[in-house]
Amino acid sequence: MRIFLSGFGTVGQGFAEVIKRRRDFFEDKYGEQPVVVGVIDSKTFAVDQKGLDLDRLVARKQEKKGVSDETYSDALAVMDSVKYDLLIEVSPTDVETGGTGLKTIRHALECGKDVITVNKGPLALHFHDLIALAKKNGCKFRFEGSVGGAMPIINLCHENLKGEKISSIRGIFNGTCNYILSKMDNGQPFEQALKEAQQLGYAETDPTNDVEGYDAATKVVILANSVFHRDVSFKDVKITGITGITPDAIAQAKSHNMVIRLVGEITETRLEVAPRLIPIGHPLSISGTLNIAQIDADLAGPITITGRGAGKIETASAILSDLIAIMSMRL
Amino acid sequence: MHLNAELYVKDLPGQLVGSLEPISMVDGNIIGVVHDREKIVNQRILVSVTFEVANSKKLDELKSIWKSRDIFISKIGSVYETLTSEFMLVGAFNATYIENLIDEVSKSTDIAYSSDNHYKDKRTAMITAEVRTEEDLDKLDEFFADASEKDDMIYIRGL
Repeated sequence: MRIFLSGFGTVGQGFAEVIKRRRDFFEDKYGEQPVVVGVIDSKTFAVDQKGLDLDRLVARKQEKKGVSDETYSDALAVMDSVKYDLLIEVSPTDVETGGTGLKTIRHALECGKDVITVNKGPLALHFHDLIALAKKNGCKFRFEGSVGGAMPIINLCHENLKGEKISSIRGIFNGTCNYILSKMDNGQPFEQALKEAQQLGYAETDPTNDVEGYDAATKVVILANSVFHRDVSFKDVKITGITGITPDAIAQAKSHNMVIRLVGEITETRLEVAPRLIPIGHPLSISGTLNIAQIDADLAGPITITGRGAGKIETASAILSDLIAIMSMRL
Repeated sequence: MHLNAELYVKDLPGQLVGSLEPISMVDGNIIGVVHDREKIVNQRILVSVTFEVANSKKLDELKSIWKSRDIFISKIGSVYETLTSEFMLVGAFNATYIENLIDEVSKSTDIAYSSDNHYKDKRTAMITAEVRTEEDLDKLDEFFADASEKDDMIYIRGL
């Protein structure tokens, strides 16, 4: 399996580490190792048809902020310069245009390559186009890590719950907001909780995407399109963030034995990200950076899954599960 | 359908089970039973049972089984379940505003509310509503969502 890796930030480097850790597994199960033949980050690239040394690439990236000294102006030309079977797209999310991720995914699918992505932008904006393109060219297109990081919600719905009618999914899809709201439960005001989240690396310097609910909304769109087969995009989601939640509101909720959590909800008719009142003890009342989802299925009833919604190795584990699925299909 | 029935059964061993078994036979669900040995009419004792059946066809089926077993149905009626939900509004409103808002909806709903001190000119109102149907709950949800959009408040509803 020859892989082209688009994006070599936290998740890309996490993937490099994960395939190294699973070397024996690949050898035992498939009798071969996945080989990364090309890598691009935002400015630089490295290609080697025989396979790149990922340890060296990670070391170089951390030391010099690039995968090589070679820069590029056309990502697609770099992709075309090597032979690969699978594109792993982990470049930064751009929910306004889809960014580089949209271009590289489209290009790979047009060239008949399989694709794995955790990039929410292209999925939130052009889900059905990309699925159609993959189908037309006979490509496998998987995106487990795009929602909930290590929490296996998409493949669970697509594979294990294939025979179910799913009526709703409600969940906490943004760990940053959950961390802030959990801190507010203990009396911290929003601004202070946000600052703490930033210091711990849970929130970006510009936290807008998280605290205004935009990040959770992209995940709601992906679930609506992929699980509910709806045809919606980011603009169809009713979004309310957490910036207006006051300590009074938290205290009032607490006096009624409840907490406030930012919940994404998908049904046949509703697409929403909004703060909700959750009874303490309910699965959605979890604290910290965890993600959680409750799936309501007609035969199985309610199913709850939880996991780490972000993180280098955690997100890479979702990519690994997609990679294994694709490699198994090729056996 | 959520129902309550008062049945009079013969005061003989096995009659209580004999009156409840038909509910299972129509795939119903027994929620509660009171076997009142104090209430005796014509040598029959009272069994008050609350149960669920899928529809009126199943209920008719159940009634005819009871009749065939010589079980006397003295009363049967619907039991209304109420749904409780919480709604929270956060915004720059005063007590009169929230009272007027609640007056508007409380015609059809049992409502209680508490309001907290303001934080940076914002007040919080927690509203607890008891309604009879999911539809009523949806209407209430829509009402508060519209009001909060119109008056620039944050609306936080229960699950």
